[in-house]
Amino acid sequence: MAQEVTQILLNAQSADGVVRKVAEDSLKQFQEQNLAGFLIALSHELANNEKPPDSRKLAGLILKNSLDAKETARKQELVSRWLSLDPAVKAQIKRALSQTLDSVVPDARHTSAQVIAKIAAIELPQGEWPELVGSLLANMGGPQVEKPAHLKQATLETLGYVCEEVSAEILAQEQVNSILTAVVQGMNASETSNDVRLAATNALYNALDFAQTNFENDMERDYIMRVVCEATLSPDSRVRQAAFECLVSIGSTYYEKLAPYMQDVFAITSKAVKEDEEPVALQAVEFWSSICDEEIEIQEEYSGDFTGDSEVPYFQFIKQALPALVPMLLETLTKQDEEQDQEEGAWNLAMAGGTCLGLVARAVGDDVVPLVMPYVQENVSKPDWRCREAATYAFGSILEGPSLPKLAPLVNVALNFMLSAMKDENNHVKDTTAWTLGRIFEFLHGPNVQFPVITQENLPMILTVLLESIKDSPNVAEKVCGAIYFLAQGYEEGTGAPSPLSPFFQSIVQALLVTTDREDAGDSRLRTAAYETLNEVVRISTEDTATIVMQLVPVIMQKLNHTLEMSVLSADDREKQSELQALLCGVLQVIIQKLGASDTTKFGIVQYGDQMMSLFLRVFSCRSATVHEEAMLAIGALAYSTGAEFGKYMTDFYRYLEMGLQNFEEYQVCAVTVGVVGDICRSLDDKVLPFCDGIMTQLLKDLSSNQLHRSVKPPIFSCFGDIALAIGENFEKYLIYAMPMLQGAAELSAQQVIRDDELIDYNNQLRSGIFEAYSGIFQGFKGNKAELMVPYAGHILQFIENVYQDKDRDDSVTKAAIGVMGDLADTLGPSAAPLFLQTVFYKDFLDECTSSDDQQLKETAEWALSTINRITNVG
Amino acid sequence: MEGASGAHHRDPFKSSVGRVAGQRRRQQAVTVGKERRESVVRAKRLRRADPSDHGDDGSMQLAVMGDEAAYKALEESTVNAVHNLKNLLKGSPAKRIGALQTLRHLLSCTAMPPVHVAIEAGVVTLLVDCLAFGSSEEQLFEAAWCLTNIASGDLQQTCAVEPALPLLILHLGEKSAVHVVEQCAWAIGNVAGDGEVLRDVLLKQGALHSLSRHLLSPVPSLSRTAAWALSNLIKGPSPKAAMELMKIEGMVDTLVSHVSKGEEDLVVEVAWVLVYVTSMSDFHVTLLLNAGLLPPLLGCLASSEQLSLLTPVLRTLGNIVAGDNSKTDVVLSVGQSLPGGIIGVLARCLESKHRTLQKEAAWAVSNIAAGSILQKHTVFNGGVVPPLLHLLATAVFDVRKESAYCLGNLCVAPKESREQGGIILEHLIALVDGGCLPGFIALVRSPDVEAARLGLQFLELVMRGLPNGRGPKIVEKEDGISALEELQFHENDELQTMSNTLIDRYFGEEYGLEEEYGPGMDVLRGSDDSSDYPPWRQGGGLTA
Repeated sequence: MAQEVTQILLNAQSADGVVRKVAEDSLKQFQEQNLAGFLIALSHELANNEKPPDSRKLAGLILKNSLDAKETARKQELVSRWLSLDPAVKAQIKRALSQTLDSVVPDARHTSAQVIAKIAAIELPQGEWPELVGSLLANMGGPQVEKPAHLKQATLETLGYVCEEVSAEILAQEQVNSILTAVVQGMNASETSNDVRLAATNALYNALDFAQTNFENDMERDYIMRVVCEATLSPDSRVRQAAFECLVSIGSTYYEKLAPYMQDVFAITSKAVKEDEEPVALQAVEFWSSICDEEIEIQEEYSGDFTGDSEVPYFQFIKQALPALVPMLLETLTKQDEEQDQEEGAWNLAMAGGTCLGLVARAVGDDVVPLVMPYVQENVSKPDWRCREAATYAFGSILEGPSLPKLAPLVNVALNFMLSAMKDENNHVKDTTAWTLGRIFEFLHGPNVQFPVITQENLPMILTVLLESIKDSPNVAEKVCGAIYFLAQGYEEGTGAPSPLSPFFQSIVQALLVTTDREDAGDSRLRTAAYETLNEVVRISTEDTATIVMQLVPVIMQKLNHTLEMSVLSADDREKQSELQALLCGVLQVIIQKLGASDTTKFGIVQYGDQMMSLFLRVFSCRSATVHEEAMLAIGALAYSTGAEFGKYMTDFYRYLEMGLQNFEEYQVCAVTVGVVGDICRSLDDKVLPFCDGIMTQLLKDLSSNQLHRSVKPPIFSCFGDIALAIGENFEKYLIYAMPMLQGAAELSAQQVIRDDELIDYNNQLRSGIFEAYSGIFQGFKGNKAELMVPYAGHILQFIENVYQDKDRDDSVTKAAIGVMGDLADTLGPSAAPLFLQTVFYKDFLDECTSSDDQQLKETAEWALSTINRITNVG
Repeated sequence: MEGASGAHHRDPFKSSVGRVAGQRRRQQAVTVGKERRESVVRAKRLRRADPSDHGDDGSMQLAVMGDEAAYKALEESTVNAVHNLKNLLKGSPAKRIGALQTLRHLLSCTAMPPVHVAIEAGVVTLLVDCLAFGSSEEQLFEAAWCLTNIASGDLQQTCAVEPALPLLILHLGEKSAVHVVEQCAWAIGNVAGDGEVLRDVLLKQGALHSLSRHLLSPVPSLSRTAAWALSNLIKGPSPKAAMELMKIEGMVDTLVSHVSKGEEDLVVEVAWVLVYVTSMSDFHVTLLLNAGLLPPLLGCLASSEQLSLLTPVLRTLGNIVAGDNSKTDVVLSVGQSLPGGIIGVLARCLESKHRTLQKEAAWAVSNIAAGSILQKHTVFNGGVVPPLLHLLATAVFDVRKESAYCLGNLCVAPKESREQGGIILEHLIALVDGGCLPGFIALVRSPDVEAARLGLQFLELVMRGLPNGRGPKIVEKEDGISALEELQFHENDELQTMSNTLIDRYFGEEYGLEEEYGPGMDVLRGSDDSSDYPPWRQGGGLTA
């Protein structure tokens, strides 16, 4: 049997497809017939040093995949399957795995370490396998017992994985202490094996989150920091890199404990940036970037409001390090890659250094300027392109952060230089120059900018340069698009007067269209940039250019039509078609939204409505998620613009709407479709009724599915509200399905205790959605069906009280919650008076809101208060 | 545990614009949806805070009774807010909008907003400045809202808004943002609701045409507000404005199509426009009927239960049937498709528990009952008699009076078929047997001259009409004589003469003799002579 397993595992990796298929089938069969036997066989295969490394490795991999999966539902299934195995079987498998850690074959040890961690992730939270940590630590030996290096290495690796898999509160402090002790000992300079030291350093990286208590203790913290710093000097570059990764993590996790070490850390990182190999140097730069992140965040919290619960001190490490830090970063800028502007995802020391410099500028503001400008002036005209590019990059990097009065004079002087640099002989210099122009327009141009650098006088010249340079090579043209994008964005929020951009509107649009048609528009994401820039130009356009926008409609429709006739022979063709369709649908969405917003231009959209809709439907029939999403958005805009007229498209469109709502996998598509349902409700009002059975069925299915990404659920609840608002009392028949969902979600959300920002945010969204649903239903039932909501009123008020008590509640939840209170009182009338009279919190809640700065919140609160007063005084 | 080893690094900030822009655009689309939802919900809430929606529950009085100190403070903050706005006129737009918002809240925060102090502090001039061309949408919106609130005050306060009217009307133009237009329309509607003088000013400045364009707006709330404002504008009493409105090309079709396709809220406002048009121009009634108004209008009557909708629809119907009999015939014939026919539908309205509906329905019925003999028969047999009798016996005064008109009209033969002394005996006997007499006698005792006259006229019919001298006996039995005697010394000469004549004739020396009573008893009431029943309503205003 055992022999047989080995052969099957080897066959399963065969190059011969037929052999492989047979092997995979028999593995599957074995697993289905006798799971326990199968897993034991695999663990023995993995543990057996006599077996070929390849079969051992695959055995371990299958084991690992029997314990964990990406998808939540599948993962749950695997976990319960493991837990239900006979304890003796599990013990046998675990024994084999532990034994493998001592194997001389590195792959076997590595795989075993991963599998052990997966089992730990299942069992430790259940209180099982309590001896795991102890037995692993025994592998590390002690003063009297020396253990082999490979065992220590594998053990440390296992400990690292365990820390990564298990959350911090699962392990007892004393276990954490012993793990850290073992890890730190393994990192110690006295450790002779580099492999052990590397494994220990990597393990520390994962264990840092567990070390809260230890970082509170001065002695322990000093010790850990000393060991990490020493490891950055290891002769092995892998260890140095891992040690810097630890420092990066410590920088963000334990910012408030860093002060005593900063001088040393600066020396270490500075040396690494200057002298070490690139992967190590990149981590050293990353340390400073992450400190910038921390300090930017602290400043935002402080400037936000002082009542905030931020207790993090602000040490101004960046400001203090500035005189030495900036030169260090500037030095990296000339270490460019020849290919960096042509390769997507390129990353090197120069890019990391520039990125960090940008963060430094945001962290310290004006102080960075005098340190950078001399470098810019000195290098920007040098014969070496590296110097010119670096100087431009440095200049572009500091345009966000410093004050406008500080920057404006510099930029005013630099602008002409930059414009002429668009004719530089070097591609990289032009690329960075165009990017810098974009940054200038992003930060020093716009309606709220006090010293705008763009004037009526220089605008023609700027546009001449940009429209000429957009013909340059794709990477440069792509950056030029970015510059036009921000230039246009700065002209937002017009007062109805023609935009200064209007005289050039036609030629900008023309140039962008030509760009999208370029042969090489597929490079450097140029086509995408050109279309998105076109969108922005359309979005900010004023009425005087509406005709030109209108003329774009048939042009874009024709392009979209063209994609439907493309020959699609390969997956590549398909992808190309999809990408184009997505972009074109995006353009139509923006145009519809733009022209549909004004009564004078709306007729244009209505007149093309039929044609556009039939194109969208044909695009749907090509089936691709991204296109689906963009076409959906465009249809949502169309529905809003055409109003009740949209009804005539519903019969044909409905099946795609339903398909969108069923799309669990591409949840963004589902979310966008849910939004479109809302648009349609607002357009059709009660004429949406015939489609509501289908829509509600699908929405309820979505909510009950554990496959659907949770982020779609809040919009679905809001959508209930949209539907109820549209169909009014007809919502009655859905009430018995919708209310339990809402109540269930409300209860679940009230019980949430986990304090993590993402979850807090999600919880707020969920609650807003629930409240929007309640408001829609109340308003829809007001008048004839109010009594249907009487049984739920108590529960709803209770939920609002829970939300009121939550200190993480955000403004939009607050607004939605008090709105529901008003709607409840308004709809139920005096019959709800006793509920309010028994309740104390509502007055405090509303008082809090009526003194808010947010006018809408204040207004809603005042309305709710007067409504409640009305019913309680009458009743 | 890959840490940051190469594969994962932060995004370079010298990056491609396309991806971020696309995300931003999609995010914006989502935000737009959110904002639209919010504005729908918000509009519903604010509309409900409209006092006209709350009818007569007196709730708006509650806040007025607050203590004086608080009100003083409110007045002070209002003056401060006006001064603040003045100082910010040249300041940053955002701050100015903030100041406008504060002001708007103050002007709407209680049932008795401190409008007068704001006016004294010179708020109107400032608001006019804020309405200047080139102002941002938000500013226009807020300024128009403030003016709306001011114009919902008393007549004097509304008059103060006059300098702003030209600009409010200008911003009704096609290029303005929808919410600005709607707010301006709202303000204008409030002004128009406050009397003929202001309506004339608005008409001279062209408000009618500007508003009427928005009747066709695809934005439901805007077409609704425009219709509401127009209805206030054409209230009259002069029919000029209504005529002007109907002269606009396509107006007849627009109104008819709204009634047939619009949402209920819109139909409500359009029906009010129709109320005024139908009450003032017989010619346009014909045009509207030819354009197919009746089927959808009667449809509303049969299908809706909303008081706010039924009231103007019934009133419009009443206006239509107040015209010549041929129009009534059309109404009856179109109404045949409804369950129970139009009369059955009206009977159900009479059975409603809402006083307004009872009264409006009775008014419409009385007009039909004033028609041809055939029409009278149709009404009589259509099921309205039991509810009318019930109302005459139990309802509040004005409903009783309307019911009495209906019942009286049913018994009087039209001029052209004057057999049996102008009495439709069959109807009269049935009604008297149904117990209507005490109700009419109660009207005789009423201090209302018109009601008393009506009661007298009916008693005359009974005494003259019932065969075998049954009339005087039954009147005497129901204590009618003492009611008549009370009028013998009434200060109104006509009533005095009538009652004297009746007593003399039926209970005097000649008691028992039958004799024909002379002229003066045509149809009980002229077709639409209802002086206590002004063909316009008071305008509602925005208070939130």
